[in-house]
Amino acid sequence: MHANNRTPLVLTLLAVVFVGLAAAFYSDSWGYPPPRAAIPLVDKALLDTATVRRSYADLIRAKEDLSDFDCYGCHDKKQPPPLRYDENQKLIVPPEHSDVVMGHGSHGRNNNCFNCHNENNLTTLQPRDGRELKLENSTQLCGSCHGPTYRDWDSGAHGRTNGYWNTKLGPALKKDCVNCHNPHSPRFPGRKPAPGPHTLHPSDTADRAAEAESPSTH
Amino acid sequence: MSLSAPHDPQAAPDAGTTRRSFLRTSAVLATGLAAVAASLKPLFEMEDIPSAEQFMQKYYKELTPADMAKVLQRIEREVEKQYGVRPHVRDLKPLDGVEFAYALNLSRCIGCRKCVHACVAENNQSRNPEIQYIRVLKLPHGTFDLEKSDHNYAPDQVPEKGFFTMPVQCQQCHNPPCVKVCPVHATWQETDGITVIDYDWCIGCRYCEAACPYWARRFNFTKPSIPADRLNPEMAYLGNRPRKKGVMEKCHFCIQRTRAGRYPACLEVCPTGSRKFGNVLDPNSEISQILRTKRVFMQLKEDVGTNPRFYYYFDV
Repeated sequence: MHANNRTPLVLTLLAVVFVGLAAAFYSDSWGYPPPRAAIPLVDKALLDTATVRRSYADLIRAKEDLSDFDCYGCHDKKQPPPLRYDENQKLIVPPEHSDVVMGHGSHGRNNNCFNCHNENNLTTLQPRDGRELKLENSTQLCGSCHGPTYRDWDSGAHGRTNGYWNTKLGPALKKDCVNCHNPHSPRFPGRKPAPGPHTLHPSDTADRAAEAESPSTH
Repeated sequence: MSLSAPHDPQAAPDAGTTRRSFLRTSAVLATGLAAVAASLKPLFEMEDIPSAEQFMQKYYKELTPADMAKVLQRIEREVEKQYGVRPHVRDLKPLDGVEFAYALNLSRCIGCRKCVHACVAENNQSRNPEIQYIRVLKLPHGTFDLEKSDHNYAPDQVPEKGFFTMPVQCQQCHNPPCVKVCPVHATWQETDGITVIDYDWCIGCRYCEAACPYWARRFNFTKPSIPADRLNPEMAYLGNRPRKKGVMEKCHFCIQRTRAGRYPACLEVCPTGSRKFGNVLDPNSEISQILRTKRVFMQLKEDVGTNPRFYYYFDV
């Protein structure tokens, strides 16, 4: 008899619990993670597959203005242009060629324009063996000193190739030395790395940023 | 009705439904039903409910060419509906006489991470949460101890003095542990060496992720988010078609490019030419030359016996 009297009470309590559960589900009280932090999209420049520089051969292929390479527009055809050096035997680059940064090799001895350019015909290049090379064949000039690298480039182990690995289906576009290296200052410049991976939890990222700010000694 | 049924026949002489018991029962039933319906609410909010067509789809290897044509049309339809871009989805088969291999020049890699982002763009990976197939590890000179590596580096300039960088992605093993553990054969090795995943067959158990010694496999914990204007519409069934929540994905050597004869996206974007790719069965290919003539630090974690198709090499 006592149990029978308690039934309405239990049922009422159960009903209250159910109603409470229903309300909680509808109001999304739990089970939903906090919103994720926004991750900025990467700069489309990072996706560019173009090389850093364009070679003379590229300019010819694209039929572009080649007036910059008209050496005898300014120079005298009859005599080689004179070179001037400062007291440390460093070449003085004339203001007309201020875009040229002389930095080929860390020894500082490769400071003569005519190590590579042909002084008797400025529109061509001349390696030390005396050959005359057109500007678009500059890889052979590079190879005349950098033999092992030239060998690697020739076999495909050094340098860039874009396009098709399967040449039956399309062209393989092999890049020249000067597509990536500035011949006057060939060392590869450092660059800022693209953003690293982001974590799901912004606090981790903030910690990492703080860590990067502080001078690290590792 | 059992609640309204009298517990004790003597206590209910009329044995019928009283007004009180009816109201009580219906109140309890109504609240109960409401609670059940409310608890099912997350089910109704699911965004990725597979269409009947997708649900009934057969296993990749059992699909006839006619079936596949229908499947590709379905995928094109679904992608267009979701992103507003009509993609070009293909099912590219392995080429005859081709086995792919990849070589990476550790002497040239500067750690600029351009490959990471070119890969994300090419392969329609989720931007938030981020899924990236390539992880670039920064290591101090003189060690290959991966415990000493750092992938969160963010200096002003790379390369950093005293460190080298080593990008790691799916190594396309000859003996892939991820394939062995898959309980439903949703991942397998193709004849050209690429280990692929059928995203419509994957059940998301993540065994393969645990089996991979290179941390190469990624799981879609949520629905991938890809801005429509960054979607790459050139797609392949086993490659870069958009994935759904709850499936695995990983590097597949840009199957949509490489089986059409092109170089992978990570290779084309590399500013230093550190990445080399090709057909090892062709003795005159770049990759064959490298494996023959360069100092190859054989394969990452050689000791675990996976025999990767991804080789790291040095100049000199």
